[in-house]
Amino acid sequence: MSAVGSDVPRVDGNAKVSGSAQYTADIELPGMLHARALRSPHPHAKLVSVDVSKAAALPGVIAVVTRDDLEGLNPYYGAVVEDQPVLAIERVRCVGDIVAAVAAEEREIAEEAVELIEVEYEPLPAVFDVVEAAAPGAPIIHEERFETQAAVFREQLNLNAGGNVCSVFRAADGDMDAGFADADEIFENTYRMPPVQHGHIEPHVATAVWESPNRLVVHTPCQNAVGLQEQLARIFDLPESGVRVVVPFVGGGYGGKTHARLEPVTALLARKAGRPVQWVLTREEVFLTGRRYGGFVRMKTGFKRDGTLVAREVEVFYDLGAYALSGPANAKTGSYVASGPYRVPNRRLTTYAVYTNLPPAGPYRGVGVPHVAWAYESEMDRIARHLGMDPLELRLKNLLQEGDIFVTGESLVSVGISDCLRQAATGIGWRGREEQADNASEGSLRRGKGLAVIMKSTTTPTASAASVRLNSDGSVMLLTSSTEIGQGVRTCLAQIVAERLGFPVERVTVSAPDTDVTPYDKSTSSSRTTFHMGNAALRAAEEVREQLLEAGAQALEVDKADLELGAGGVSVRGVPDRSLTIPQLLRVKYGDSVGSIFGSCNFQVKGGLDPKTGKGKAAAFWFFSACAAEVEVDVETGKVRVLDIATSVDVGKAINPLQCWLQNEGSMLEALGAAFFEEMVFEQGQPVNGTLLEYMLPSMEDHPERFQSLLVETPHPDGPFGAKGAGEAVIPAVAPAIGNAVANALGGVNITELPLRPDRIVAALAEREAGVSGEK
Amino acid sequence: MRHLITATVNGRERELSVKSSQTLLDVLRDDLRLKGTHEGCSVGVCGSCTVLVDGKPVSSCLMLASNAEGRDVLTIESLARDGNLDPVQQAFLDRQAFQCGFCTPGMIMAVKGLLNENPKPDEAEVRDYLSGNICRCGTYVEVMAAIEDLTAKPQ
Amino acid sequence: MRNFDLLEPKTVTEACRMLDDGEDVRPVSGGTALLILVKQGLLRPRTLVNLKKLEGANAITRDEAGAVRIEAMATIHQVETSPVVREHLPVLAAACHQVANIRIRHLATIGGNLAHGDHQSDPPGVLVALDAEVELSGTRGTRAMKLADFLLGTYETALEPGEMVTAVTVPPVRGRLVSDYLKFTTGSSEERPCAGITALVRLEGDRPVEARLAVGAVAARPLLLCETDPTEGALPRMAERASEEIDPIPDLRGSAEYKRHLVRVLGRRALAAAWKEACP
Repeated sequence: MSAVGSDVPRVDGNAKVSGSAQYTADIELPGMLHARALRSPHPHAKLVSVDVSKAAALPGVIAVVTRDDLEGLNPYYGAVVEDQPVLAIERVRCVGDIVAAVAAEEREIAEEAVELIEVEYEPLPAVFDVVEAAAPGAPIIHEERFETQAAVFREQLNLNAGGNVCSVFRAADGDMDAGFADADEIFENTYRMPPVQHGHIEPHVATAVWESPNRLVVHTPCQNAVGLQEQLARIFDLPESGVRVVVPFVGGGYGGKTHARLEPVTALLARKAGRPVQWVLTREEVFLTGRRYGGFVRMKTGFKRDGTLVAREVEVFYDLGAYALSGPANAKTGSYVASGPYRVPNRRLTTYAVYTNLPPAGPYRGVGVPHVAWAYESEMDRIARHLGMDPLELRLKNLLQEGDIFVTGESLVSVGISDCLRQAATGIGWRGREEQADNASEGSLRRGKGLAVIMKSTTTPTASAASVRLNSDGSVMLLTSSTEIGQGVRTCLAQIVAERLGFPVERVTVSAPDTDVTPYDKSTSSSRTTFHMGNAALRAAEEVREQLLEAGAQALEVDKADLELGAGGVSVRGVPDRSLTIPQLLRVKYGDSVGSIFGSCNFQVKGGLDPKTGKGKAAAFWFFSACAAEVEVDVETGKVRVLDIATSVDVGKAINPLQCWLQNEGSMLEALGAAFFEEMVFEQGQPVNGTLLEYMLPSMEDHPERFQSLLVETPHPDGPFGAKGAGEAVIPAVAPAIGNAVANALGGVNITELPLRPDRIVAALAEREAGVSGEK
Repeated sequence: MRHLITATVNGRERELSVKSSQTLLDVLRDDLRLKGTHEGCSVGVCGSCTVLVDGKPVSSCLMLASNAEGRDVLTIESLARDGNLDPVQQAFLDRQAFQCGFCTPGMIMAVKGLLNENPKPDEAEVRDYLSGNICRCGTYVEVMAAIEDLTAKPQ
Repeated sequence: MRNFDLLEPKTVTEACRMLDDGEDVRPVSGGTALLILVKQGLLRPRTLVNLKKLEGANAITRDEAGAVRIEAMATIHQVETSPVVREHLPVLAAACHQVANIRIRHLATIGGNLAHGDHQSDPPGVLVALDAEVELSGTRGTRAMKLADFLLGTYETALEPGEMVTAVTVPPVRGRLVSDYLKFTTGSSEERPCAGITALVRLEGDRPVEARLAVGAVAARPLLLCETDPTEGALPRMAERASEEIDPIPDLRGSAEYKRHLVRVLGRRALAAAWKEACP
């Protein structure tokens, strides 16, 4: 193999370093207007009246849209349940809900017009805490029940669970009572994780234009072009072919651009204005547009004195905010892994996706898993410390193995998890049980090490389709709706196609998503692209290869099996002069060396879980990762420095090891930010730190002094060349590894709520001094 | 209110009529259509809009366009010459020091500023100087490696 | 950003006259603070007066007596890299180096920094420790006052309508100053300071004659404590006093209690570091 497995330089590299890569905000269409929105200042209120007459009269304003403009449309949309109106209709459900929008000749005019809109609200009781919101008697955020378009969600989720609980998912094994009765000891603790920002530096942005009353074209950095196409078609009552979604370069997504966010309103404005409209969100609006679910976890664990886990009961509450987006599906993703990547014979795992009056959340790298991993990996260290066991040994003793039957009933394949954990631990010089002994200290500085290990599913069932087009000059185009969001998907797919055809990678170009041209893809999310689209591209390339070999066999009068395909064309194995070039093969096939050869594949993975039993096939593939960290805590100030951090991921097969490294580095750094300081704070539903001045992202100085990205390759039988996924693998393991290192440095002081702010650390130490530590 | 200013942009002297409230970034992107300079946070934190003014990196989102009067402004588009990438761009390419690429033009201009000011920075100086240019994809190690490549070579 | 008119005076007199024209007229220099407020809609000026084009307004000089004068339009980066500042007031150079990021330091001015009155900033605390004075010019003439008296609170200063900061002056130091500046952030390295602690030890000959501890960024105004003829043993007590006297503003970085604790810890560390260098 040549193309696959090597650090092929990124195919989009030149465009990105030269500044010529075009992002959505760089697009200017003739006559384009600029949009601004009026957003709710209330977390929950009845919308009494909206008067836009003054705004509409302002010179330069071309269109103003409100709920009155939704007449004749399907005004509600959503990835799982259709609960979100294009614009607020009867009420607003969070600060930032869009009440009206303006399209004007200039941004400043649109801004001024927004201030002229007069709205009367009637405030309603609101609820912000996820546990309170799920309790009976909480103010109800959605009175209605919602439609669900996709059969997979209708059939595989327990939706409309009542009150503010949008959905519930349960996975279970064994007998809880017997399990806890069998335990020598039982630990019970709660954990919290706050909402955080995706932090993509490119804000959400969309450009919309109606080419005719039945034809909408939208440019947007969406991770899910086809899903958006389907939603826009339904909102505007168009056939899917009536909507064209084009995705230019994307300035970071991390899950935050997976679903429709501002595109429906932009399209509505463009329709009313009869002109192209571009809407670039301000950073303050981005903070009101997407985030990671806040989470609350209750975890009860029964274990034997030798460290064997025997029973675990977990309840998780995910705070969706005002609208669900893919929340119910994401909460399901957290449910079956809530007891961790461990053998636990008796378990009951329940996740609730709950509405609150906070701005809507959505998937963020690692969806649902960081919350439960923070809990179960913190628990593992508490148990190890309590039993005087090496945390590494305790984990290895309980970890899942190849062929184990998981809580979903499926047999696990490609389980490199123990190798990941050992590799990460070795990476930071783990010394076994000694790590629990007295730690190095100097003055106010204490050192500690910590480990964490996780598993995650990829969304299943899904499909991805790809077409490969071989041109007469031997160049190849891969048509795919997979989005290049920085993860290197174009390069990776080009490598897979080139490998199958035996061509140099430079001969393969990979399209950007354009729903007029590129075939169906579920979405660029869930670390699924290398596996799913990789398979589709591989098989599409295989079809092209077959056609070339058939033409060659016919013309050279040999058996297909005796031929090989390479950069120059088809040749008889071992007899290089008996060969045909690509143009010659086209002539054989078509009678002339013009035209192109197509191959295509719709790669589908069946499966899914029965919502009543939680059994079935949860994942086309599982991915596993581990993180090990060494920290130094200043016990006087509470400030923590990461001295060393190693991550290890079982990627199946690294198509491009360097890009795997970069994915892991990025995941590590995002998770490090969330471990130490990233936290969206709301007071009564109002954002307190909703700008990048107050909410900071990790900088180069925050990057740990030493970082290693390690890979384990346990080939997956169904993966392209054995590959699985890497995009999100590391993220859930980082915060608990750091948390455990901090707890280790502090001699067993556990902090259960992220982030590990200095003031929390100082307070926890003071609490221990005072002898009222909550340490079990 | 508008102001007539003269500024050198990417080597070319230009007479510009700018609005009072326009930032240098607005003029570059909207008027001169130099779209390689990106707007990320609008408040001088992220560094995506970094350009060089008289050889020094500034946040073009917070510099009033009128203050570009008489100044020498360089954007990412000025770097490649005759189809050849600037050494900093080439080093970024060699080290694959980017992912989504949105922060990259600003990061490259900041590196230009760094090397203008300090041709041989050590790692601590690199971190200190560039810590205000945020890469959410987290590609910092590779940026540092690219700079190491540049400073190891004889200039 | 909302539209405004930008007036561009060439002289201070002209600028003051322009500024003295009602509430919705504001001065702008580097723009790094003010333009953010305008962008966020927190300020709606009709007119901004651009001080950046005032002639000769960014010089940094030292007179024969040893006073260092920094004209208001000097950028933070100019202060940080000025040979005069580096030689005679290294602690000011160090603190200015820690302001925001390099791009902002190239735009922001020392005058704008002080006039903005943001308590979460590095330079004010250091300059208060150095006993700096600000020079204010207005339509009614020029006056000087101690920076400590000029800074009244968060975003509050002694500036009168039509008045601007034209210079900041650090008086001559008798003897030799040894100093240390500690910036503490609770989160990212890029945050504004949660605490900015300046410790100074002044020596006459080899004898420490004065110790100062200034606490910036914790309370609405910098807190300054001075002790004459200090001893090493008295330093922790000084930090203790600072933590008792400070009135911290609680925020997302920590409670008032945590910040008092920080002042005690960091004050002690900064004083110890300065002392160690002063009396090795």
